[in-house]
Amino acid sequence: MSELSEEQIRAELDLILERRNADTRLTTMGAGSDDLNEGRSYLANTVNGGWHVPTWPEEHGGQDASASHNARIGRVLREFVVPDLYPFAIGLGMVGPALLTHGNSAQQREWLKPIASGESIWCQMFSEPEAGSDLANVALSAQQDGEEWIVGGQKTWTSRAMWADWAICLARTDPGQPKHKGLTMFALPMSLDGVEIRPLMQMNRDAHFSEVFVDGARVLDRWRIGDIGEGWRVAMTVLAHERAGGGSRGGGDGNARGLKLPSWIVDLQGLANEQSGAWRNQVANLYAHDATSRWTSQRAADEARSSGSPGPAGSGAKLRSVKSYKGRSYLTNMTSGAHGMLEDGHGYIETMTAPSMSIRGGTDEIQRNILGERVLGLPGEPRLDRDVPWSESRRGLI
Amino acid sequence: MTDPVHVDPLVTETADRLFSEICGHEAVQLAETRGEAPEIWNAFADTGFPWVSIDEAAGGSGGSLLDALEVLRVVGYHAAPIPAAETGILGGWLLASSGQELPAGIVTVVPNGGSELRGSVSGDELTVSGRALRVPWARVAERIVVPLEVDGQTVVASIDVEDCHVEPMTNMAGEPRDTVDFDEVHVPVAPTESGIDLEAFRFRGALSRAALMAGAIEKMSQLTVSYTNDRVQFGRPVAKFQAVQQHLVWGAQDAALARMVAETAAREANRGAAQFEIAAAKLIANQAAARATKACHQAHGAMGMTQEYPLHHLSRRLWSWRKEYGGDAEWTKWLGKVAVSQGADQLYPLITGGSANFN
Repeated sequence: MSELSEEQIRAELDLILERRNADTRLTTMGAGSDDLNEGRSYLANTVNGGWHVPTWPEEHGGQDASASHNARIGRVLREFVVPDLYPFAIGLGMVGPALLTHGNSAQQREWLKPIASGESIWCQMFSEPEAGSDLANVALSAQQDGEEWIVGGQKTWTSRAMWADWAICLARTDPGQPKHKGLTMFALPMSLDGVEIRPLMQMNRDAHFSEVFVDGARVLDRWRIGDIGEGWRVAMTVLAHERAGGGSRGGGDGNARGLKLPSWIVDLQGLANEQSGAWRNQVANLYAHDATSRWTSQRAADEARSSGSPGPAGSGAKLRSVKSYKGRSYLTNMTSGAHGMLEDGHGYIETMTAPSMSIRGGTDEIQRNILGERVLGLPGEPRLDRDVPWSESRRGLI
Repeated sequence: MTDPVHVDPLVTETADRLFSEICGHEAVQLAETRGEAPEIWNAFADTGFPWVSIDEAAGGSGGSLLDALEVLRVVGYHAAPIPAAETGILGGWLLASSGQELPAGIVTVVPNGGSELRGSVSGDELTVSGRALRVPWARVAERIVVPLEVDGQTVVASIDVEDCHVEPMTNMAGEPRDTVDFDEVHVPVAPTESGIDLEAFRFRGALSRAALMAGAIEKMSQLTVSYTNDRVQFGRPVAKFQAVQQHLVWGAQDAALARMVAETAAREANRGAAQFEIAAAKLIANQAAARATKACHQAHGAMGMTQEYPLHHLSRRLWSWRKEYGGDAEWTKWLGKVAVSQGADQLYPLITGGSANFN
């Protein structure tokens, strides 16, 4: 498709989507939506034009768009009603891009279009009780048996597991190798025999998080993503897309170019009994940080799209957008005074969600390590278990 | 009444043992679901702890305010879901100071001194009307105590909960903070002893929260140290990583700071004038709570965000309590005004000498 101007994009989108009231927020922050239908019908509407994932190939639900054209579409898309796509976010933002890099053509044909159209939901089975920040310590095992793999073990913090049709699942295929080397990535249908999901309730009462127990599930070899032993490389691609995507689309409420106040500031003004100098200073700092954060995220996302492989900029973007989220929720909560301590108070969900933002998708500490090592060139964190077989190192070396 | 400088160690030991036995993670979780914890309250009441610092002659358990605040610190430490401060050093104190009977059951207090309520006196009858917000545990209270300023005097209404309408509401920690409607409730007029007015009540409320918060921050810090020593990642306990140690240090510093200011305020309040110490204690506790919850959650990682692990019982309470009886802005302003009114030369004497140094 030749590159359209903003006006032409707007005209195309007017045929399939509704305009958004500019004063409303783009997405609900914090706990995700339980409504699958709105997102599904939005994606079904946009998939034929390739509007939601423009950089993907046309045959897989995109329009082969360049990074700059994609950015233009993103800007125009902000003028339209886009529902909360939380349930679909892993497929759209992480698995899809990773499949474009590591999937074979049969896998791309089978999985990408249903992701883009909202037909299939994916979750990410990476973390385990003993493998959080230390993700390479995963113990869930997959043993080859002819054309199948027999999978057993436990995953945790699996968001969206109860909605998911598929999981992208990191498994230990060779315990005799050092921990990063004996891993392989699979796509695992959540409906397989031997897959059991147990929801975990969070402190913000969100229950979109689960533990997943796998006992003897049989996974086909054609569902393996990348080579045997290459699981860590695939996982890094998935995670880099997660960080880069953190603040790329949505979150930019208000008006980036005009002088109109963003809606969150208008909301805050409504809550404040008194707009003291100290309070205004906090709002202004937050506004400045928020804008910088949004531009940085956008830049990281654009770079990732144009190069096809997101770099460490995503870690900076994630740290900034987390700081922005936490700053806003803290200020909203403090501004609303004593009433803010109640469950129906302003910023309740955000306050209860805020600490998790610095933890999910790679902790602040992990992001800073990435920046320290890959951007600043600082010496790496001592890695005691680098050349030790995983089966020996797993219980801890000190 | 005695004027002790130290807490009776038996108070700490007994309260701590009591809550260790009956107030574990499941009990606190259950209280949140049910909106009450009668088993915990009954065991607590059996010891007489709710009424410590109220004269035995007035129906209390005796003991000093220092002891009562130590009990509250232990209540906060265990995140005990009970209206300990309301029944004792707030509601019980107001009742005793106005010569009224202490009921056997739970007492609560309208937190902002009834500023949303109207009181009118006719002969020896006081009539109370209006809506009170965020009343702790009203749904399980026997009496609701309302301090009011009527015609220039402070009076205390002791209202039977049956005579009002209680609408359940909860704070971030899932503790009851109910909305209570009073529709022309009639009670006898009961003026307070001199010196006990809405301002004194406001400071006493802040003092109670500072004690609860000191306990909760301390427990949070201890939980974090122990979790990070057990949790192994990258081949070693995460507490061995400097970045995690920094979080642990923040938690420990804030625990020590909050406890020190709460104890200083308690000691001065037990002796007499303590407005400066109490204002500083509540502000410092609020700020410590914000920093410490951040650090302790971060050091726990995802585990601390789950309902299954006890950290949230403490962090959510701290986020709620820091807003009760004065948030940061209120006490910052109060302290600022006092410092300015004393003049630059008096700043250092004010900080070191405290309430004794200004009037």
